[in-house]
Amino acid sequence: MITVKDVHKSYTKDTETIRGVSFEIGKGTIFGLLGPNGAGKTTLMQIIATLMKPTSGTVEINGLSPEKDLLEIHKFLGFLTTEIKLDPVSTPDDLFDFFAELYDIPKNDVKSRKEKAFERFGITPFAKRRISELSTGMKQKISIAISLLHDPPIIIFDEPTNGLDILTSRQVTDYLKELRNEGRCIILSTHIFSVAEELCDEVAILVDGKIVAQGTVAELTAMSGEKDFEDAFFKIYVENHRERP
Amino acid sequence: MRKTYVILRWELKKIFSNWHKTVTLFLLPAVLMMLALNVFPLLINYMSTGSLSKKPIILVSAPQSFRDYVKETADANVYTYSYMSFNEFSALFGDNERFGKQLKGGTIICFFAPGETDDSFDNAVKDYYREICGGNNSATSKAVIYVGFDLNSLSGGLRAQQFKQGILENYQNSLIDRLGGDYSELGSKLFSVDSFNPVTKLMDNRSVADDSASRIVPGMLLLMMYYCSYSLVSDMFASEKERGFWAKLKMTPVSASSIFAGKIAAITLIVSAATYLTTLLLFLTSWINTANDAMSLLPFGMMLTPFELLIVLITIPFTVIVMTAVCISTVFSLDKMQDITVNLQLPLVLFLADFFIQMFRGTRPMTLEYFIPMHNSLALISESYMAQEKIWHVIAVLAVNTIVAFLVMRSVYRKESLYDNRKRRA
Repeated sequence: MITVKDVHKSYTKDTETIRGVSFEIGKGTIFGLLGPNGAGKTTLMQIIATLMKPTSGTVEINGLSPEKDLLEIHKFLGFLTTEIKLDPVSTPDDLFDFFAELYDIPKNDVKSRKEKAFERFGITPFAKRRISELSTGMKQKISIAISLLHDPPIIIFDEPTNGLDILTSRQVTDYLKELRNEGRCIILSTHIFSVAEELCDEVAILVDGKIVAQGTVAELTAMSGEKDFEDAFFKIYVENHRERP
Repeated sequence: MRKTYVILRWELKKIFSNWHKTVTLFLLPAVLMMLALNVFPLLINYMSTGSLSKKPIILVSAPQSFRDYVKETADANVYTYSYMSFNEFSALFGDNERFGKQLKGGTIICFFAPGETDDSFDNAVKDYYREICGGNNSATSKAVIYVGFDLNSLSGGLRAQQFKQGILENYQNSLIDRLGGDYSELGSKLFSVDSFNPVTKLMDNRSVADDSASRIVPGMLLLMMYYCSYSLVSDMFASEKERGFWAKLKMTPVSASSIFAGKIAAITLIVSAATYLTTLLLFLTSWINTANDAMSLLPFGMMLTPFELLIVLITIPFTVIVMTAVCISTVFSLDKMQDITVNLQLPLVLFLADFFIQMFRGTRPMTLEYFIPMHNSLALISESYMAQEKIWHVIAVLAVNTIVAFLVMRSVYRKESLYDNRKRRA
């Protein structure tokens, strides 16, 4: 469903943020991008989400190229990041209706989809309240509900549990599992090992803009010879990190 | 097109569902401008006289002819009068402290002196007419009207000047009818009946008011338009870009051009409506200004013909579009919110300078000025108030502003739409 081929991204002439990244993700898979801060996770996620153009290399979503079918791709792509903040003066109700119109959801469907999503995340009592009056966790849940209102088969989550309390975090991870079981393709970036261990079918470790290891959590732990995944990550990181000038 | 409409509706709803924003955009700037216009004369009055209230004009030994003139003439009723006999005035004049204080406070004294004779002012004037009719062509009138005011008082001086030109000169012209009678060279009758033409009266007021309006109104409208445009661009683009909402919109199956078009349409509608409201309030300010103060920035009687009004109303949205395009370009060429805010506010200084230049300039706009985007709107609106607009001015202003807005937006769009399919195919 997602094919990334030899993607490079440079913001300046001297530094490459992403250095020749390639991978493929199929249906019903949660693919985790792991790496320390500044490794290039968000840049790579934004390239996959078509919000940023790679300097070279290609990204294909469901066999479509953003160069030719950008708007078509957006129909089955859901993108969520904690960096996206909803309009503070709008209500969840208004936002849902607005995005439903942009995604061409039939009017008859909007109500049922909204009820289902709001019920799922406990948004219903706050549906008419302004976003600015809601807690961080509730905002994140609304953001998820809105990002997925068009039922996308491919979901990109950049740090999905970042800044959330343990309860909301749990709700989000449970939901991600549900989505995987429904056969969706999910790519998420995180630096929280427990999230990766619990959720990801496959992980790629990104160090200095390059994937230095890829496989299941168990495979990577075994490959490194360490006893747990966190230690394995540290070992892989130390071996591959280049000192920047 | 439908998506553009969805975005437009969303942005309008966002503004109108928040009374804070609505008031800030629609009423606050307009009301502040009205206040500034009305407070300005008061402020000047206060600075020069130390008092906010306007003092009456003291008429000393006012003759019956002047009392009648005041009763019958609408212009003369703009002022309030306090009548004083010569003896009362002498007493006041003798009290240096009280007299000085009155003059410093902006009081104007109008003293009707009959000249050398002990007779009344009116009789002195009648004598003059009688002598002229008797064939004495070198006769001079002994009657004099003295107008006294404090030279250090700016508003006192201006009011005295206005009183002399607007009231006393007309009164002087009316004397031939009032006192000349059968002795008048022109054979005027003692009682004459004249028909009053309100349109002529209004046009007289209009020529004065529109001259002032051509200096004040265009600059104010430009400031108003830019203030609203930049506030909305800041909200709809800069803030959304900063909080990532712009990215969320771009992730929808809606082209960047539709998003831009919807938002620009919303800004144009809102700002144009707010500016129309300000224009209306400026008209009201002028029409309620019946006191026609000497320092008044918008004198009574501001008026436009339907064609001139149409030009002003059409110019506004075209100006808003180009202003919005420039603001959007600023937002998308800078990354930090702080830099964006500062750079969005900078043109306000230019518009303020343009406003003051227009206020004091003594020349009409040059041809070249009609080709300077945004400033050309100021020139066109100003010329419309002066009834000097030409069709080519209108065409030039609308065309220049539209072309510049289009070019600026095309450059922003090219930068912003990463995957421009048309470009790729080409």
